[in-house]
Amino acid sequence: MSEQTLTLNPAAGMTALRTTATAAGNAGEATRSTSKIFREINATFTVMMRDVILYFKSPGMAIMSLAMPAVMMGMIGGNLMQNMAKGLSFSFGPFMLVGMLVTMMFMTTTMGMSSLVDDSDSNFSEEMLVSPVSRYSIVIGKILGCSFAAIVSTLGAIIVGLIMNIQLPVKSLLLILAFSPLMCLSGGALAMIFIGLIKNKKAANMAVMLITMPQMFLSGGIIPISSSNGVLKVISRCLPMTYCIDLVRSFVGGGQPHMFNPAVNFVAIVGLTVVCLVIGTYLFARTEKSR
Amino acid sequence: MTPVIEVDNLTKTYKHSKSPSVDHISFDVAPGEFFAFLGPNGAGKTTTMSVLTTTLTYDSGDVKIAGYDINREAQRVREHIGIIFQRSSLDQQLTAEQNIRIHACMYGVYGYRPTFQMMPKSYRDRVLELAEIVGIEDSLFKPVKRLSGGMQRKLEIVRSLIHTPEVLFLDEPTTGMDAVSRRGLWDYINEVRNQYGTTIFLTTHYIDEAEGVDTVCIINKGHIVTCSSPDAMKQSLLRQEIILDAEDRSALCAELDTLGVPYKLNGHVTLEYQGSAQELLAKIQTKLTVLQVTEPSLEDAYVAFLNTTGGAEAPILNTTKKLEVAA
Repeated sequence: MSEQTLTLNPAAGMTALRTTATAAGNAGEATRSTSKIFREINATFTVMMRDVILYFKSPGMAIMSLAMPAVMMGMIGGNLMQNMAKGLSFSFGPFMLVGMLVTMMFMTTTMGMSSLVDDSDSNFSEEMLVSPVSRYSIVIGKILGCSFAAIVSTLGAIIVGLIMNIQLPVKSLLLILAFSPLMCLSGGALAMIFIGLIKNKKAANMAVMLITMPQMFLSGGIIPISSSNGVLKVISRCLPMTYCIDLVRSFVGGGQPHMFNPAVNFVAIVGLTVVCLVIGTYLFARTEKSR
Repeated sequence: MTPVIEVDNLTKTYKHSKSPSVDHISFDVAPGEFFAFLGPNGAGKTTTMSVLTTTLTYDSGDVKIAGYDINREAQRVREHIGIIFQRSSLDQQLTAEQNIRIHACMYGVYGYRPTFQMMPKSYRDRVLELAEIVGIEDSLFKPVKRLSGGMQRKLEIVRSLIHTPEVLFLDEPTTGMDAVSRRGLWDYINEVRNQYGTTIFLTTHYIDEAEGVDTVCIINKGHIVTCSSPDAMKQSLLRQEIILDAEDRSALCAELDTLGVPYKLNGHVTLEYQGSAQELLAKIQTKLTVLQVTEPSLEDAYVAFLNTTGGAEAPILNTTKKLEVAA
């Protein structure tokens, strides 16, 4: 954020910013608009960094985000590989690795979002909500903050994959990492719809399961969905993770041909993310204010 | 002068509640005014505060803060206000300084940097200055969870002032603080007021804290009972009470009868008197053994007001000022 625009004199603070804008007419108005954008970005970054700091302050979180890939990839994925992958027309290892990487991002982000309930319990959400920034900045910052743990989990999954002798080209892994913020945003936005409404930690934990489990099995992460039909097909097409996995597979291969054109996947991800974000943020702000 | 807080016919009924928590209340607060909102538990103080700070929706009425409508221009309202909530809103895992930094950055006063040392010098100076004033300079880099309740309250005060708000809302800010810390806090808040002309909107259970304010508004059962200066409130309800006694009590009573001063006998001779106690005492010739002049406190007025509206609660402190003379 430009310190020239947002005055360095805290005593004058925002008042000086406002005064400057009104006094300088149109030019000032433009400055204010720019400052507003910077302020929103600054707020998003601040909320995100809070979660990153909290991640490092909590050894349990760090251990969990590395242990989860071992359980998901090593145990569930390994068992599927040994017992169900024989006779498939494609290599199950890379298929499962891509699916697990995306699942891990969605799951860890969703779990992280449940800390909103803790924020509400500790009254910290009030502190965030009375700040003069858009509720979207707060929610996006929160999702991006939770994404940090998700990306660490993803790295853990890659290591477990290497141990299981499932390898993806470095270029593919970098592509996955490049897409990871969008995928985390998408997962976090979907979680927001449920978690924004919840005020109870137990219910939040159940909601995390409710959000992640159907996605894990219906989005094609570890079980192919190309032959799904009926209700299951409809549900799978409504889940953002389906498009995230398919988009990643379209770029990195991952064992099985992708279902949709990458552009369709991208539009679907962005569209579903925006819809979930708008609904989730509205519900979150409304639940906090409307009692 | 345009009021900085304008509340007109504000009504709020909580979900699943039959009666409104605040019912068509109206009041104004002038810029720089120290305004105290008093009332028993459940009177509607925190509800009003929550609405004014944009953290609670309301059913009807018009509310403006610093000229901005809290419904349509909530974000502009938030730029102008600082809040100390009734319940601590600190992140217990973060350090005191990290809590302040997050607040400063959320209000757009500074751009976020990952460490205190990387923050601009003006921020560092301001934080150290404020921390020193409220006495938390040694705890700035400790996790909040390791600070005492009083220290956490002080930290919230530093945090709420970092963006120099035009209006500072204090929702029972001294709860859990020791007497010395309370006094230090009020000294500092008065200093802030004098320096920046900050408007203070206070709710408190400690009635003595409202003695020095400009305006006291008493709310009970969702309705405003009275709104005036503490002195006017005391004068409108209460008279001075003078307690006298003499070795020859009958002579004293006879003298009071002669002077036409009504009195009651309840252990001593008690008279309610409006006017100068000194003038009255100068007229009394009987040698006194007991002389006690009781000035009405704001708390006396508060309890009296609530009694008249049927909602009195036990006050937290007895703040009646007594001037006792061993005669």
